[in-house]
Amino acid sequence: MTIRGQLNLLTAVVIGGSGFAGYQAYETRREIEAYDRSMNDSLETRSVLLLLEDLPYHDDTFRRLQVERDRLQEADRRRAFGNAVTTYATKKRPELRRSIRRALKVEADHYNRNRGKRSEIEARFEKLMMLSSGILGLGLFLVVLTIHARIFRAINRLSRRMLDFLVDRYSFQFSQPDETELGDLQRTFNSLAQKVINTTDELKRLDQAKSEFLSIASHELRTPMTSIKGSLSLLATGVVGQLDVGSLRLIKIAEGETDRLIRLINDLLDLAKIESGGLPLNLDWVQWDEFCGKTLEGLAGLAMRAEVRLELVSIPSIEVSIDRDRMQQVLTNLVSNAIKFSPKGSAVRVSISRAKTGDLVVSVQDQGPGIASEDQQLIFEKFRQGATAANPLVKGTGLGLAIAKALVAEHGGSIGVESAIGKGSSFWFTLPKWRESELAKVA
Amino acid sequence: MHILLAEDDPSVSIVIQISLEKIGGHTVELVSDGAQAVNLATRRAFDLIILDGMMPLKSGLQAAAEIRSAGIVTTPIIFLSAKNDEKDVQAFLNLGTGFIPKPFEPTEICARIDAILNDANKGAG
Repeated sequence: MTIRGQLNLLTAVVIGGSGFAGYQAYETRREIEAYDRSMNDSLETRSVLLLLEDLPYHDDTFRRLQVERDRLQEADRRRAFGNAVTTYATKKRPELRRSIRRALKVEADHYNRNRGKRSEIEARFEKLMMLSSGILGLGLFLVVLTIHARIFRAINRLSRRMLDFLVDRYSFQFSQPDETELGDLQRTFNSLAQKVINTTDELKRLDQAKSEFLSIASHELRTPMTSIKGSLSLLATGVVGQLDVGSLRLIKIAEGETDRLIRLINDLLDLAKIESGGLPLNLDWVQWDEFCGKTLEGLAGLAMRAEVRLELVSIPSIEVSIDRDRMQQVLTNLVSNAIKFSPKGSAVRVSISRAKTGDLVVSVQDQGPGIASEDQQLIFEKFRQGATAANPLVKGTGLGLAIAKALVAEHGGSIGVESAIGKGSSFWFTLPKWRESELAKVA
Repeated sequence: MHILLAEDDPSVSIVIQISLEKIGGHTVELVSDGAQAVNLATRRAFDLIILDGMMPLKSGLQAAAEIRSAGIVTTPIIFLSAKNDEKDVQAFLNLGTGFIPKPFEPTEICARIDAILNDANKGAG
């Protein structure tokens, strides 16, 4: 039975029961009132009536008194009037006294009988009133009990199951949902939970497939690259026989392009891994100034060949919680890009400042050709490159900034560029304030 | 050095063989799967065993485990692999002496082998 049905039935029974008892009580009350009315014609008045009927009509005094009596309404005044009439009658007609006494006796008996009956009816009335309020009270109690047992308890059970589901204890199945509204809710919840589990399983499966694909792709792509690259470098070193200048040049070109292809494969796999969340950060406390210095040292060779100066300014001695290798990849990418686009003899400047929010802002500034504003968002997308590099020392894969963006995002920061044509570019990325060591700040 | 090389990809194995022989001056015996590697390693003595990570019949890790359990415990084992996830690398380093990720510079492979063997000797000493 549904809860609504049960409550409706209960309410109907309560209203019907207490209404019926109430109606009975009302009827009884009416009965009592009728008795009261009849008894209001007190015995004195009745006796007066009897007396008056016995008296001769020609007597003017009695006629006048009769008219007077009819005008009197209240019982006590009628009683007083009756007494007066009785006195008068017994003075004038002493022989009537006995019949008056008899009439009084009859009336007294009648009154007493009525009184007994009245208290009987009154007792019945009280019983009916008690029954009516009893039914009402009990009904109310049953309604509250029903709500409690069937609604609140079921809701509690449901919310417990939902909580279980939330914390991955998949005991979500309500083994036998009952035929109530809450049973419907449980069934709906079961289907919902099943759907969530199916979707999650599907996602897990897809994720698994993606990981497998990445793993196979890296093996399948890298294996031929190993032999191509290997063959080319062995040929170039001349260990298998000397080559003429033309062949050597061609082999060097093939070797360079192979290197680029290998970088591209590595970048693509990196990006795929980062984007699928398969590259957890290996966090460590890193001394920021030392980290910047080491990263730039690694790029000194590239800068020297491009005849570009590297400058490191206002690097504070702070400690940050970052993935050293990944952050190095970001900084290396930005600085090597800056070197590539810098004219000979210019400088690339790496600096650090603090945003209003307290986040660290790392900037890499060059004096290159600058980037048109419409390209400034584009270059962070995959395979999108701006103008041609001034120093094409290393051909880019078109993925470097996309990877840097993904890695900075993994660290909770953001990346961007400020630039104008002919005014150079300033690439920046942020590191959230909470990555900074509290200890270092105090010191 | 007398080296056992197990590599299923014929192109890669020839490149490595040439590198080892022409640059390093080593002698190389070539097999193309894990089962052959175990077979040969237990029958003949080598100064170094190089195993590819992914091979037919037996993977590099399986082959290495079998070679070690066959009583050949002192011969260094170096893995080559294109799978260079952290947990793969950890598995290689747990079982073998060293690990060279693919793709590698074949002209540098001898130097890398020397570096790994030197490190291992230092660790042992």
